[in-house]
Amino acid sequence: MSAFIALSKKEVQQMAREFKIFWLPIVFILLGLTQPIMMYYLPVILQSAGGIEGIIIDPTMAKPVGQEVLASTLNSQFDQLGIIILVVATMSIIQGEKANGMMGFILTRPVSISSYLNSKIIIHYILAVICIALGYAVSYGYSAYLFTTVPMTQALWAFAFYCVWLLFIITFVAMMSTFFYSPAFIALISIVVLLICRFIAGLHPLIDIVNPASNSLSAANILMTGNMEVGYGIHIIVTLLLVLIMFTTMHGFIAKKKF
Amino acid sequence: MLLIEDLQKSYGQHEVLKGVALKVEKGEILGFVGGNGAGKTTTLNCITGLVEQDCGKVMINNVLKSQSLDYKRQFYFIPDTIHVFPNIAAYDWIHFVLSLYEKTDDAKLQSFIHVFGMEKSINKPMGTYSYGMLHKMALITAFTISPPILIMDEPLNGLDPLAVVAFKNCLKEYIENGGTVLFSTHLLDVAEKICRSICFLKDGKIVLHESVESLLVDGSLETIFMEKQANEG
Repeated sequence: MSAFIALSKKEVQQMAREFKIFWLPIVFILLGLTQPIMMYYLPVILQSAGGIEGIIIDPTMAKPVGQEVLASTLNSQFDQLGIIILVVATMSIIQGEKANGMMGFILTRPVSISSYLNSKIIIHYILAVICIALGYAVSYGYSAYLFTTVPMTQALWAFAFYCVWLLFIITFVAMMSTFFYSPAFIALISIVVLLICRFIAGLHPLIDIVNPASNSLSAANILMTGNMEVGYGIHIIVTLLLVLIMFTTMHGFIAKKKF
Repeated sequence: MLLIEDLQKSYGQHEVLKGVALKVEKGEILGFVGGNGAGKTTTLNCITGLVEQDCGKVMINNVLKSQSLDYKRQFYFIPDTIHVFPNIAAYDWIHFVLSLYEKTDDAKLQSFIHVFGMEKSINKPMGTYSYGMLHKMALITAFTISPPILIMDEPLNGLDPLAVVAFKNCLKEYIENGGTVLFSTHLLDVAEKICRSICFLKDGKIVLHESVESLLVDGSLETIFMEKQANEG
């Protein structure tokens, strides 16, 4: 446990020195801001940009409600640009230490592979949750101000489901970072796989069971309907199982000294 | 006590270690000597767990290498290349490493910082350090932790003469307190002065393991090394 705490502290120090704990929350706050503002001012933006020709805006069209805005913050901003930014921020978490020999140094000290991996994944996951929470809170506030207020319990449940998807994202990038040496390749393969997962979510109920991105869809559905279905629980269990499998694979890979 | 039995390691078709067997008793300073590619670093890497051997047994103080955490607490390894985070101060880094060994003796740490003359630079980022300073930092950490066995790969590389003297004094004190040392070196004159016994490694095999005292009866280590290289080749 003391090794885990020491490694976690080192991880936080390292993130502070790389300014990751400053720029990443700012980026997600900006992402959270973008969606409500963009949806509110879209007709004005189109009109002032002169690109309204050929576009029919229904004057009787209802203004979107806060739930829709918050759901599209999760599904449009965080699930697209957000994923790319998270991948770039975490792609070197293990690869970097593998390349500079630090992983070998640490693992020849009284440190278990589990403590090493846990400190990496948990600290980066906490940072990702804080960033998403900040962006989500800003989006929540602006949605309430510009549109309608979303019930707090609904928003919190949706956030909790989204955090499960987030855990998969961080663990998957960490696994790619364990397997491969090129940061560019790690980023590419992570972004492609995660975006594919996200885009196929909702296509077929059977695929959704094993697709961790279904949790993001569940979060949006909770925001829109306020209801939680039994299937959502199954998505969480399957995602946690996938995380466990990925962790075991990483552990085995490092134990075989493939670094 | 370090015990190695029938240690074998191959990289692809290349057989690096061909059944290395070694016993290092408590209180011994063993110099691991051999030509380039003899298998010194691979042996050290197998002992420290950086590399997994294909075959053979490694044990420190009756703790098997497979008993991972307990085993890792038995030694401190200083590799030839010191890996650091360039933007972290050496003092913070040493504290981090000490915490991995659950050691918190700051007075002891300060005394070793003083012995190696690192007071002025200890709070500077390690990226600004020279090769020798990085080795001093690693030695300060090792002596502060003071594990049952110190394993070092070319520990004197880059050290200035004052640091070499400091190293010898610290080593003496460490051995007096019950420590054991295994280090690889190319510097035979240094091995002659520091070590109590010498182990010659050639083509992945130990060809000689004797006390320095008995070896020096037949001449200098340099002469014996040259003879061994020629004879066994």
